[in-house]
Amino acid sequence: MKYMSSAGDYKVDRPGSLIVRAARIAPELKWPFVGTIGIAILATLVRLLGPLIVKGGIDNGISKGDKGAIYVASGLFVAALVVQYVTTAMSQWSVAHVGERYLVKLRSVVFGRLLRLDMGFFTRSKSGVLVSRMTSDIESLQEFASDGAVLALSNFLTVIGVAIALGFVDWHMALAVFVVIAVLMFVSAIFQRQARRAYDLVRERIGSVLAALQEGISGVRVVQAFTQEEPQASTFGRVNESHFEANMASARAISWYFPVVSFLRIGAIAAALGIGVIRVMDGSMSMGTLVAFLLYLDWFFQPIINLSNVYNLLQSALAALAKLYELVDKPTVIQDRDGAYDLATPVVGSLEVQGMSFEYLSGVPTLTDVSISVAPGQRVAIVGETGSGKSTIAKLIMRFYDPTEGSIRIDGHDLTDLTGQSRIESVALIPQDGFLFSGTLRDNLVYADPGASDDQVWRVLETMGIDSWIRSLPEGLDTQVRERGSRFSSGERQLVALARAFLADPAVIVLDEATSNLDPETEVNVETALKILLEGRTSVVIAHRLRSAERADRVFMIADGQVIAEGTHKELAESSPPYRELVDAWKVGLA
Amino acid sequence: METDRPSLRDLRAGLSLLWQLVRRYRGVAALSIVGAIIWMATVVAIPTIVGMVVDVAANGDERSELVPLFFWLLAAGGVQAVGISVRQYFGFKLSYRAEADVRNRIFTHVQRLAFSFHDVTSTGELMARASSDLSQLRMILAMLPITIANIAMFLVVTLALVIIDPVLGSVAALMIPAMFFTSTRFANRVVGYSFDIQQRLSELSHVVEESVTGIEVVKSYGQEPQQQNKLELKAMSIYRSAMGLAKERAIHRPLFEIIPALGTVAVLAVGGIRVVDGSITIGEFVAFTQYIAVLVLPLMITGWFFANLPRAAASATRIDDLLSTAPEIAEPDKPVRLRAGRGEIRFEDVSFAYPDGTAVLDGVNLVVPGGTSVGVVGATGAGKTTIGHLIPRFYDTTTGRVTIDGVDVRDVSLDELRSEVSVVFQETFLFSASIADNIRLGDGMATDEQVRAAARLAKAHDFICETPDGYDTVVGERGTTLSGGQRQRVSLARGVVRDPRVLILDDATSSVDAIVESEIQAALQQVMAGRTTVIIAHRTSTLALVDNVAFVEDGKVVAFGPHNELLKTTPRYVEVLDAGRLEVGT
Repeated sequence: MKYMSSAGDYKVDRPGSLIVRAARIAPELKWPFVGTIGIAILATLVRLLGPLIVKGGIDNGISKGDKGAIYVASGLFVAALVVQYVTTAMSQWSVAHVGERYLVKLRSVVFGRLLRLDMGFFTRSKSGVLVSRMTSDIESLQEFASDGAVLALSNFLTVIGVAIALGFVDWHMALAVFVVIAVLMFVSAIFQRQARRAYDLVRERIGSVLAALQEGISGVRVVQAFTQEEPQASTFGRVNESHFEANMASARAISWYFPVVSFLRIGAIAAALGIGVIRVMDGSMSMGTLVAFLLYLDWFFQPIINLSNVYNLLQSALAALAKLYELVDKPTVIQDRDGAYDLATPVVGSLEVQGMSFEYLSGVPTLTDVSISVAPGQRVAIVGETGSGKSTIAKLIMRFYDPTEGSIRIDGHDLTDLTGQSRIESVALIPQDGFLFSGTLRDNLVYADPGASDDQVWRVLETMGIDSWIRSLPEGLDTQVRERGSRFSSGERQLVALARAFLADPAVIVLDEATSNLDPETEVNVETALKILLEGRTSVVIAHRLRSAERADRVFMIADGQVIAEGTHKELAESSPPYRELVDAWKVGLA
Repeated sequence: METDRPSLRDLRAGLSLLWQLVRRYRGVAALSIVGAIIWMATVVAIPTIVGMVVDVAANGDERSELVPLFFWLLAAGGVQAVGISVRQYFGFKLSYRAEADVRNRIFTHVQRLAFSFHDVTSTGELMARASSDLSQLRMILAMLPITIANIAMFLVVTLALVIIDPVLGSVAALMIPAMFFTSTRFANRVVGYSFDIQQRLSELSHVVEESVTGIEVVKSYGQEPQQQNKLELKAMSIYRSAMGLAKERAIHRPLFEIIPALGTVAVLAVGGIRVVDGSITIGEFVAFTQYIAVLVLPLMITGWFFANLPRAAASATRIDDLLSTAPEIAEPDKPVRLRAGRGEIRFEDVSFAYPDGTAVLDGVNLVVPGGTSVGVVGATGAGKTTIGHLIPRFYDTTTGRVTIDGVDVRDVSLDELRSEVSVVFQETFLFSASIADNIRLGDGMATDEQVRAAARLAKAHDFICETPDGYDTVVGERGTTLSGGQRQRVSLARGVVRDPRVLILDDATSSVDAIVESEIQAALQQVMAGRTTVIIAHRTSTLALVDNVAFVEDGKVVAFGPHNELLKTTPRYVEVLDAGRLEVGT
């Protein structure tokens, strides 16, 4: 079976097997799911009793002039309604419960998988796309789970139930109604296609409107500085107008569909009534049957309209699920190979990069035959222009990628032979901006070792000389880090990142130095903390400043993915013209 | 879960904005209401026709009597369809037109509000006015015509039922308040939870976002499980809110079936007896059951409308507040032209304080001879940037005046003033447009040649040529990413493309590495040559480029002269430079 969903023009192949796979992640929900269906069926059955009770009341009571029968029927009806209320409420609650529970599981499973994908995947994909998998795609599933599933189930059962009931009450009338229903379904299908196109356009255009709005507001100072208010407003006016037009296209679709549905409904009533009345006059049908039929008829139209809406939700949900599984199915290259072993502790920290080549895109070498060897406890600086490949070296040492050729050895063991856990425990990266996570400062400091006690944390902070800064914050370690640490300066973020690495206590540190300038006071603090952190550890510093190169035991200069010079700063400054050029540029900056 | 309820007085401005919109599009609104009334009339008529058909059958009358009744039934169906169509189309048109109109007004207005307004108002807040607040407005306007018709319908139907049979009519009409109350209550609760869920969804997406952007750190420390736990906590909190919502739905939604069904029971019990007693016909009895069925949806909608009206009015009030904020920088009544000159700038006893009273400048006197450059130096918060921003009137002085070639900046039209004074901000902002268009922002009339010349002057030409589409490369949030240094040079080109008399530079080299910095400084040197330039210096290295330095302290210019001279004559200047208390970034 090939199933095509038009949701965002996304094709879902084999939705059956997709649903089966998706269901397997939450086996614990199997029985709650079965129970939910059971209750929903019960609720629908009870609901269908109502018109039959009315029929009994009319035929046995009203038509025969028996008041007692009327009271009996009314009493029965009220009892049925009580049961109907309880079962309907229960079924609605439990559908939501199963759906929402499932979503918790799905979110966790997909996210866990996402986090464990290769770094290359993150570099290639736009972060916005990845975030939207976890947010808008799962949200369209959420929409289905929280409302769509309830509507789908109850309306589906109602339509089936009413169809059976109609046929059961009187098949002549039922046949006439089914003809009208067939027309309704046909019309609904046309409408759904048209409406989906219209809504897709509306969604796209509202996206442009919001983007233009955002840009106009955040760039307002520039707009005013160059007196661009009017051109900006007229550009925005155009975008805004095109959104209005898309909205009106959807309005036009709605404005023909619902009138047609309404007319069909009257048509069905007329058809049923016409046949019914003639049969009542013939004496071949009772008045009660006619009334019951009309009552059922009222439950037929809305559910069918609802179902056609739910169908849209279902399609979006399936498309979202397919996209999620595309992510889940991504193969990973960087993983423990068979027979991977742990590095013997304590790790000494010798680092040996041998004849390493690497290409992000095959055929386009980023690094060629790079060899760098760092003795335990030594500090190495890697310098070079932007784009020379120096940051790539850092990523390879972290085993975010595997080299195309050559090897990286820690204490003589190839990284690809070691377990991932060994790498994590022996090598730490300090990224350029000293990335902070939301949560408290404490959370960020103990990131590598969530079990660390406050005493340990304070000892580290004291050792690194940054305890007084943190003590000066009103909430100390409990200070909330918001929006990636925007309330801290870049230098402060780096201090936290350094302390975080100290607590992790790795033998090897890879530091991607920040490019931005710090205010001198913080700069001094960062320098001190860094010195303490690197004391006795092997370190590779991707250097952007003169000072870092000067302080390194050895400097490697990279150009076009190759090591073009190595030695101490002094040696290179004398022997290597490109290095001297770089140093001169640094000096101008310091002037 | 109740959101705070604003008082009616607060909502008056919002309601009047809604009323103003309805009046503005009264033609469309009237058509929609007419459509709704037509629809309403047929909704009321149809059950009565059905009842009459049933009576014909019950009385065993001639079949021929049925023919006109069925004709009327189908005719009513046709008219009803037309009524619905007119009601819906013009109802949507009213709401979408009003939405587009107000959104345009918000955008245009926000573009004109002065810096002082934007200093204290976040982008998110303004976005909310033009998106979520505006949707509230739109939805209530779309529902307005049908609600008017619905209310009319409840009155007419109640009246019709009571006329047919006072006792039965009253019993059946009880359903109206019951449904109305239930649906209002339900809509109120749902909104609270929906808001809650939105909040938690955005928290969850924050966890995803930080994990993706910080993936290097996550992987470096092998903390995938920790991030996954964080996410699971957020997912659980979504679960709890969603289940809160599910509970409200489970409690209320079945009532929308149960209440009308109870109405049917009442009709059966009370009406059945009265049919037996002969006080109503079986056809009237059937009509009653039909009336109950048709009222269900209108009652739900009306309940929704009144539950959401206060919220929509509150949104409208917020929008109205924004639209009635007057721009602080006003055009002069009788603008004078700038005189010819080289751009001499004078600050005469200039003081400036923020609206909250915080004094920034206090008696600044400064003369920048035309064609020369001055570096403004001072500690963080000394008011350096403010000095730059007073010249193009981003702010107005509290007392004193600023002149360009002898003319008070407040006497010149904003258009002319800002075309003669170019500003390059510290935070570069590029629009999602081609590089050429971004540069042309500085001068809409600039030819391609002029754009290129400006780019060369700003030392941007070479790297622009290396981008995929050269000058046509789209940059900004939705385009190619340029490095910080590249962005700064594009914005520098934008600043000089119209060859301004005065150039104000908020030195933007603090966030780039040394190599890029030296390139930018070379560019600066070129653009400053022979042009009156005020450069807000954040780095010592910049001071080598300027003719004079104005040293700002305690809201005054305390020393003025070449950098080397100030180093000798002003110990405090040396102290500030040495202490490195120069502002770094902001």
